[in-house]
Amino acid sequence: MQRWHIRDIILVTILAIFMGVIFWAVGPLYAVLTAALAPAGLQPLANELLLGIWVMAGPLAGFIIRIPGSATLGEFLGSAVEMFLGGTWGASTLISGAVQGIGSELGFAAVGYKVYNWLTLTLSALTTTLVTFLWDYFRSGYNAYHLGFLLVLLVVRFASIFVFGGILTRLITNLLTRAHVLPATSKN
Amino acid sequence: MATITIQHLTYAPPARETPVLKDLTATFRGGRFSLLTGPSGSGKTTLLRLIAGLTPLPTTGTITFDDQALASFPATTHSRRVALLFQEPSTQFTMDTVTNELRFVLENQAVDPAQMPARIDAALAFVGIAKLRDRSLMQLSGGEQQKVALASIVAMDSDVILLDEPFASIDPPTRQVLMTKLVQLCHERHKTVILADHDLSGYDQWVDHLTVLDHGMATQLSAAATQARLAAFTPERLRLTQVQLPAPDTPQVLTSHQLGLRRGTRQLLRPQDLAILAHKTTLITGPNGSGKSTFFRALVRLSSYDGTITYRQQDIQKLRRRTYARHVGLMFQAAQAQFLNVTLGEELALSQKNGQHAYFTPDRVAAALKALQLNGREDQVIYSLSSGQQKKFQLLCMLMMAPDVLLLDEPLKGLDLASIHAVRQLLTTTQADLKLTLVLISHQLSGLDSFIDYHLALADQQFSYQAQEVRHES
Amino acid sequence: MNPSLKLATVVLIAFEISFTQVLTVNLALIGFSLIVLVVQRIHFKTLLWLTAVPLFLASALVWSLALQGDASHHFLAVIFTRMFVYVYLGATFTQTTQPLALARSLEQNAKLPAKFAYGFLAAFNLLPKIRAEVATIHAAALMRGQVLHFWSPQLYFKVILAAMNWSDQLADAMTSHGFVEGAPRTYAVTIPLRRRDWLLCGLGFVVVQIGLFVGLP
Repeated sequence: MQRWHIRDIILVTILAIFMGVIFWAVGPLYAVLTAALAPAGLQPLANELLLGIWVMAGPLAGFIIRIPGSATLGEFLGSAVEMFLGGTWGASTLISGAVQGIGSELGFAAVGYKVYNWLTLTLSALTTTLVTFLWDYFRSGYNAYHLGFLLVLLVVRFASIFVFGGILTRLITNLLTRAHVLPATSKN
Repeated sequence: MATITIQHLTYAPPARETPVLKDLTATFRGGRFSLLTGPSGSGKTTLLRLIAGLTPLPTTGTITFDDQALASFPATTHSRRVALLFQEPSTQFTMDTVTNELRFVLENQAVDPAQMPARIDAALAFVGIAKLRDRSLMQLSGGEQQKVALASIVAMDSDVILLDEPFASIDPPTRQVLMTKLVQLCHERHKTVILADHDLSGYDQWVDHLTVLDHGMATQLSAAATQARLAAFTPERLRLTQVQLPAPDTPQVLTSHQLGLRRGTRQLLRPQDLAILAHKTTLITGPNGSGKSTFFRALVRLSSYDGTITYRQQDIQKLRRRTYARHVGLMFQAAQAQFLNVTLGEELALSQKNGQHAYFTPDRVAAALKALQLNGREDQVIYSLSSGQQKKFQLLCMLMMAPDVLLLDEPLKGLDLASIHAVRQLLTTTQADLKLTLVLISHQLSGLDSFIDYHLALADQQFSYQAQEVRHES
Repeated sequence: MNPSLKLATVVLIAFEISFTQVLTVNLALIGFSLIVLVVQRIHFKTLLWLTAVPLFLASALVWSLALQGDASHHFLAVIFTRMFVYVYLGATFTQTTQPLALARSLEQNAKLPAKFAYGFLAAFNLLPKIRAEVATIHAAALMRGQVLHFWSPQLYFKVILAAMNWSDQLADAMTSHGFVEGAPRTYAVTIPLRRRDWLLCGLGFVVVQIGLFVGLP
């Protein structure tokens, strides 16, 4: 099993910060979406729709730095950076970061860190959705929603995570592979 | 004092077939100041990284420090033997402040914490930056950062000090200070110093030995030959026979009122009014680190500034970013910053689609590619081109966009003579045909004469247009 | 208080209240955190911001729960106050702890390998450069007539190339500055881990447990 080197740790953190800077720019959109959806009681949808961007650091890190734990670390360090930058969620950011990271890590672990293709990213999107949803089920009181609405939230969350953590991540890693900075084969 | 001996070193970087260093043999004597020179891409960085142990040695070739192989030293004592000061000042620190970085360095050497304050004080005092001790590293200028990097090496007390183009973006007074300190380290503390620089100007009074790297091999000159070589190296003179002072009624394209620039707390440009003249070619000169690139970044709204800048009578801050970016473009000094895609073909297609396609017809583009010796490379990955090829290709991509004003930051850097000729030809024709406004920053001055209309010099924090021939200072 | 222990306490309490529904404990934690923040002289503006954001989001969430679910008033009140506990309790940590102090404490007290502590710091200190790079990438694209959005692969592609470049440079610089993975280091600044820290941590924990135990139905 590959070990973590200082270069990988720095790369994962810089990636996480970059994602944070990009996500920062999406902040206003999140606020507008929340404000627009809240009166109809659909606020969580704003959260679900944009969650994919926030959890993208996981699959990206997992795909780029092919070491067990990189997806978790990518998300977790991202949340640590956010915490120190005065992100409003404070310490619970760290917990969410860890939960999201473990969620996307499971996808990579499921294929034994050997396959890096569509299957991996889809699996990762699926595991991220389930794990984070379970977390919100308790944390954000999702257990109080009617089943129908809960299913809508689940589907929207998976769609968002799949679009950003799956499709967009695949497009990005395709560019990296073509530029010869990532190995072309799915096996490392 | 450690003498470095390199024997039969052949090295090819991964994913490259042709070796950068070919059966290289050289000796750098202990306690001496050696200058390593050679054209860009000749392998100076590669050689320094091998000596520093940052790149693992290939099986062919040996590097010894006083007859001991570098690899035989335990990793933990490595930094006492050798340390490298990098070209890019801002990415060589781990910590937030100057003192914390020096602490980090000493912690790494497992120095007793009780001794640290004294060693840190001494290192800072030696380089003369005691007043920077509590400053945040990211807020220092490039020159100050290089001084901190040197102070770190002084604190580590490394036997061999390697420097890779350390003055690339450093102002002349700082360079002078650093050179004095390095010579002092050689003479008083018997450190072995190897400094790589492609530009030989201003070394004659400092350097003991010159090593010339070319085609993968090293030639070492004697002290006398070194002096002769350095004396023969005269910085290029700027010969501008056709420049004039702008006439008062010349149309302006970019006008700034009380424009002031600063970097951190340092004032780069004292507030002044300044105009860039339409449909002409203006050359900007000034010492390294004086703020020329910062001026360009301010013009494209990537740096903050005091005062106002107007583009055709409109405040540039009030224009839509995406509109303004089509009118005033910047050819970045780092070529890779310009590209968005993977292959040359894709990049050309993008410029073709969004640029001045009426003028840049496929035929014209093909001809330009041929003139720049980039033809037949459409499927190649941009990042696999040499830095010179990237530079030429970057220029073509930006010219095809044909913005009203094109700012060019060192467009000729690292190009050979044939390429410089081709680039100048392309610039001249396009400028004449499309009536572009070109503004250049260039240290490469040969052959610019007939091409430049105005010469804007930055000195003592002020821009001024120059009349006739002026000697370039840096 | 010792940074590692402080972080552990805050995170564990936040974790615990995520799975429990005791309004009084939430309120007590909010009150306690506010006192700490005021004693630590938090800027009024920061506090306002730390209040406005959860107020906005918690209101929207509770409103949604009320409309789309069948939650009791008690449950809604718990969810509403929980948001504030997260934010205020988190602030008691972030407002009183520097990243450097935490990294040192994790290295010294929690025995985190130094490569993680300093790798993180090296990247974190690059933040201004990272921000500027995103702006440069956007601008460079505009000059080529292309608008990059947060869904544009090219934005991330360029960002990752820069990240790879810088991580190489920083890692080399750390090596050149004598950092060796796994090698013993000394500490210029020792972060103490006193008995008092353990006591405070334990006490806080016990109080929260008792509160939760009493408050649970």
